[in-house]
Amino acid sequence: MKIADWLTKGAQSEEHGRYLKALRLEQLKVLATQIVLLVFLLIAWEVSARYGIVDTFIFSQPTRVWQLILERAADGSIYHHTWITLVETIIGFCLGTLFGTLLAILIWASPFFARVLDPYLVVLNSMPKVALGPFFIVTLGTGHLSIIAMAVAIALIITTIVVYGSFQEVDPNYLKLTQTWGATRWQSFRKVVLPASVPSIISTLKVNVGLSWVGVIVGEFLVAKAGLGYLIIYGFQVFNLTLVMTSLLIISLAATVMYQAVAFLEKKLMQNRRI
Amino acid sequence: MTHALAIELKDVSKKYITKTGINYAVDNVNLTVEAGAFISLVGPSGCGKTTLLSLIAGLFPPSGGEIRIFGQKVEGPTSQVGYMLQQDYLLPWRNIYQNILLGLEITHTLNRETEEHALYLLEEMGLIDYRLHYPHQLSGGMRQRVALVRTLATEPDILLLDEPFSALDYQTKLRLEDLVSSTLKKHAKTAVLVTHDLSEAVAMSDRVYVFSRNPGRINTVIEIPPVISEKTPLASRNIPEFQTYFQRLWEELDVYEDR
Repeated sequence: MKIADWLTKGAQSEEHGRYLKALRLEQLKVLATQIVLLVFLLIAWEVSARYGIVDTFIFSQPTRVWQLILERAADGSIYHHTWITLVETIIGFCLGTLFGTLLAILIWASPFFARVLDPYLVVLNSMPKVALGPFFIVTLGTGHLSIIAMAVAIALIITTIVVYGSFQEVDPNYLKLTQTWGATRWQSFRKVVLPASVPSIISTLKVNVGLSWVGVIVGEFLVAKAGLGYLIIYGFQVFNLTLVMTSLLIISLAATVMYQAVAFLEKKLMQNRRI
Repeated sequence: MTHALAIELKDVSKKYITKTGINYAVDNVNLTVEAGAFISLVGPSGCGKTTLLSLIAGLFPPSGGEIRIFGQKVEGPTSQVGYMLQQDYLLPWRNIYQNILLGLEITHTLNRETEEHALYLLEEMGLIDYRLHYPHQLSGGMRQRVALVRTLATEPDILLLDEPFSALDYQTKLRLEDLVSSTLKKHAKTAVLVTHDLSEAVAMSDRVYVFSRNPGRINTVIEIPPVISEKTPLASRNIPEFQTYFQRLWEELDVYEDR
């Protein structure tokens, strides 16, 4: 009864109600199929593990992962490692986006500077930032600093390139408009160019969520004494692949939550922006 | 400050130098506009009309000659000149109220008094109830009216209108012509209109300058008699003399198109 009510909620007429019902039924169908698929994969994994079709030593099995999560939750260590990685990722994400945007602003401020830096940006962008790891460790030590630096390095240049690109895409007539009032370049930037680029800055945020997770996990592979990346390396070294699988699941979960948070932020900020 | 001539152009030329050579956008242009007058510039595309407006607005200096606004040499944008573009270019992330204050913010003249004046102008345009709306919620004609308020809010004495009605549908355009014309008359503004629409030029102005291109030069000046220019643009289209002047303008342009 309640479901039937929900299906036609907000209907303005019978016909509209039928339309809403069809729309919502379709939504439910998608969601149900997604859940069924997940359950099916888990069962298939579990069953094939039990009957020896896949090697549990390598692929582990859902019940073992679940048991490990319970164990680690009981002694609190899972929270500890997740917390450390999460904090590193959020800091890396924020700093990478912030510095990338600031660098884009600096470049925009001087067209000459922009032309000078252009080839450097291209090279830095195509270079695998992970290769900088040894330099971070030598200069910043084997602590959180190196890990965060890795996340920043990975997100920074692509942020700069995308954000600077969006600065340049602003319709020059807007600049003409502000210039008719004698606006300085900085005024035009603050009043028009920066707010006009907010959508692309936010879309780089979404990309940067993924990139900072890569940076932090790689960073933890290299130096960490704690964190989910550390658990993966540790699990691998002691051949506890259940631990590796568990860490992987937690990372996917946390990254998804973070991505959704950014998507929510985007929705809030873009409410009144339509052209 | 009180100078009978609002705009004076003496032998003004503007050349663009590029890798492939030098182009004269406008060459040897002389024109004067009395305070309170409404003049139009018509001519084929690429005859430098928009360049001329930008020069008067002080967006860039002329390559030769001299431009004076109320007797003062133009050396950059001044608050005495307002500019209206082909499209409204309202900022989509600001509501209407915030949009009309943009010029005041940039010129650092936003205070209680100027803000009230801007709102008064918005009311005059019949848009006060839309002040909290966003541009995408308004029609094209309403948006261009908001753009007019934004331009007038900084209280310029001279308005440069760069085909401000060309992106609108015909009915909206006629209505807006009347509104702009009466608003400018009421506030005693001087106006320079660039347009492709010959009937708009005849209906709105006291004088029409016909340009030819390559390089942009004034070829003919047509004075529109008071019998037409004193009426509103819509009403003036109905009087017999209108057709005569439209025809004259048409022929003048035709001659230069063919060359």
